Formats: sequence, C-alpha cells, structure tokens
Amino acid sequence: MRFWRVIEPYIGFLLQGFALTIAACLLAIAGAVLLGALTASMRSSGNRLVRGAANAYGDVFRNVPFLVQLFFFFYGLPELGIYIGAFETGVIAMSIAGGAFVSDVILSGILTVDAGVIDAAKVSGLSRVKIFTRVVLPIALRVSVRPMGSVLINLVLTSSILSTITVNELTGAAKIVAATTFKPFEVYAVLLVLYASLTTLLSFAISAVHRRLNRFMTGG
Amino acid sequence: MIVAENVEKRFGDALVLKRVNLRVEPGEVVTILGASGSGKSTLIRCINGLEALTGGRITVDGHDVSTKAGLVAARRASATVFQLFNLYPHMTALGNITLAPIEVLKLPKAEAEARARALLDKVGLGAQADAYPQQLSGGQRQRVGICRALAMQPRYLLLDEVTSALDPEMTGDVLRILAELAADGTTMVFVTHEIEFARHISSRIVFLEQGELIVDLPTAAFFAEDGGLAVPRIRQFLSKMKKD
Repeated sequence: MRFWRVIEPYIGFLLQGFALTIAACLLAIAGAVLLGALTASMRSSGNRLVRGAANAYGDVFRNVPFLVQLFFFFYGLPELGIYIGAFETGVIAMSIAGGAFVSDVILSGILTVDAGVIDAAKVSGLSRVKIFTRVVLPIALRVSVRPMGSVLINLVLTSSILSTITVNELTGAAKIVAATTFKPFEVYAVLLVLYASLTTLLSFAISAVHRRLNRFMTGG
Repeated sequence: MIVAENVEKRFGDALVLKRVNLRVEPGEVVTILGASGSGKSTLIRCINGLEALTGGRITVDGHDVSTKAGLVAARRASATVFQLFNLYPHMTALGNITLAPIEVLKLPKAEAEARARALLDKVGLGAQADAYPQQLSGGQRQRVGICRALAMQPRYLLLDEVTSALDPEMTGDVLRILAELAADGTTMVFVTHEIEFARHISSRIVFLEQGELIVDLPTAAFFAEDGGLAVPRIRQFLSKMKKD
C-alpha cells in the first residue's frame, strides 16, 4: 500500500511529536484551569483593584492572536534575562492564553450560584477561601464544565502553533516529514486522525466529568 | 445575650429599620412579628452580619458584628435557618451538616459525621443522610437546614421565616422540631407568620411596623386585651392573620 510505504519510516518520529503534543496539552490544560479559576475568583472579588487586574489580564490575552503572544514570550523572556526552553515557553503561553478564556466560563458559572447558598456558608463562619473552594467553585463548575470543554479543545488545536517556535510537536514533526518526503497529503492525513482522536478523547473526558459533577442535579 | 441598640438600616433612600432596640437573653424565645416588608428578615440579617448596619450597634455576647473580629465571634455564637433552606446543592445531607463543623470547629470527620447522624435521627431523617437536597422534599430540606444550624452548637438560633415555603403538613413537622428545641431551652430569635405557634413557644413577642419596633411584650401580655391587643395596629394585624 502506497500510503503506508510513505509513512512507515517516519511513524516513530511522528509519534514522538504526538507525545510532545499530548504533554504540552496536559500541562497547559492544568495551567489554564488553575489560572482560570484563580482569575475568575479575582473577577468576582469585592475589591476593585483585584477585579480590575484580573479583568485586564482577561481582556489582553483574549484579544491578541496566540501567535503574537507566543512570539512575545519566546523572544521577550530572554530580553528580561529569563532563559527557558521552547517547550516550557509554549506551555506557559498556552496556559496564560487558555486561562483567560477559562476564567470567562468559570465566572459565568459563579454568577449562577444562588446568593442564599453563599449566605448560608458565610453565617456558618467559613473563611472566604473555604467558601470559594468548597461551595462556590464546585457549584459553578457544574455549569461551566461543558463550555470549558470547548475552550480546552481549542487549546489542544492551538498547540500546533508551538511548531513556530522550534517545538517539534505533532505539527512541527509533520512539517519536517512533509518537507523530506514531498508527500504532504499523506503526512497531514495522519495528523488529521491523530488530532481528531486526541480532541475526541478530551471531549469524552469532559462529558464524563460533567455527568459526575451533575449526578444529582436536575437538568443542566 | 444579643443586644441591638438604635439599629438603623438604609437601602438607598429606603429606611428599612428605624432605631430598633432589642435584647435577647439566653434561654429566651423571642418572636418577631410584622407585616411583609416591615423589616423582620432584615433585622435577622443584621444580627448575623449578612447586612451591614447604617446606624446603631448590634452585639452578640459582647461581640460587635460591625467589626471583623466581632463578626467572626458573633457568627460562631449563632446559627441561622433560612426561609428557602439554602442547602449546598452539591453535597449530601451529611455533607451539608458536617462542612462547617469540620472546617470551622475543626472537628475530626468521624466525630462530625457521628454528631450529624445523631441530629438527623432526631429529626426523623436518619435514612436520608446520603441523599442530595434535590432528592428531598421541602420539609425534609428544612429539617436538614435545622440540623446544619444545630451542628455548630450555637448559643443562639436565628430562624428566618423557616416555614413560609412549606405546605401545612411539612410546616407541622418543622414546627414540632422547633417546639422540642424551645422546650430544651434553646435560645431562639424567630421570624414567622405562624402566630398560634409563636404564642405557644415564645417567651416574648416583638412587633415591627414599617421598620419600627412598636411593641415588645411577654407573650401573655402581647395577646392580652389590655396589652398588645390594645394597640390598634396589632389588633388589626392579628385579626387579618386569623382569617387566613
């Protein structure tokens, strides 16, 4: 089979790239969710300064192309005397960009939490941090998990841009193979399948988390 | 002791509480009566610090609720049961009751759960410990709400129209539990429209009219012809309530 003859010598190299993509995505998803939850809590704060800082972060990173952000970190950090690898830079940039979008969906979930429930938590003497982590966030996540899934899938797709800063993740590896073999169609057909499987798996995982969080909720 | 002195609460231009004075001694059951919008719930929400005062002072066992440290101590001394239950929807009945004892009182989980189960047994919900609020009826939810408040071992129980969202049968279940608590000597501040019940369990009744506390009398005197009933507004209020 012609297709397999083209791909076979490079399959190991492509899978190495895929592994790098998976690693970058898992780290960036963790970073984006943590940063998003933190930012959402700041955006719902009573302190105007805290709220303003969090809003500014969200506005900047949602409104600038990811490629520009990535180059900004890749070329900018060394100017500041910070030398980290291209992979690390990519993960940080993805976390920061993803966090801005995640904070949006978590914030919209927070705004649906019944004020009376928060009153009950307040009068019971729980600290602000405990009220947020034990009551507000878990309730908000029930609503936010699905839209957050779309954001995270987008983040996975965005990881292909890391190829522009010398990270040979799946897309980076594919570019090299395509340039060597002059068979771009076959190479990118493999990519199509691999990216689609990764995002499908992620979307199953999100659905499972959503079902788990909403075990005993009506609707939603 | 809960002491409210010249309490004033303003929402924008609306003056909801006007120079309200109230003292609740340990062991008392004080019922707050008044028409809707008279400021009853607001007064409760000022005592537990959910609303900030715009004038006057409230202390719970000497702790001023308008100071940060005072509010922490005051909330430690009291517990609130809400009209709409306000249970945590993502936690079981047991989880609702044990959250604050574990996080605030720092009780070991096993001990907090054992106490919570004992409370649930007491209100007839021993079998529902692992049920989520959505799986419970309104009356059952409110009984969980009462257990959640009692689990904090409060010196003062604040009850904000706790039966207003319940049908008569469920109301009966909840009121029976409150009557037992009153008989046990639990100090309560009770906002309600259940006048007959208030008459049975209260040691004192106060009447709010458009944010002003116009009458504060022992229960018997409140319902006496030469006491509360001598006040035209109260006579009118009580006769209207009886018709319902």
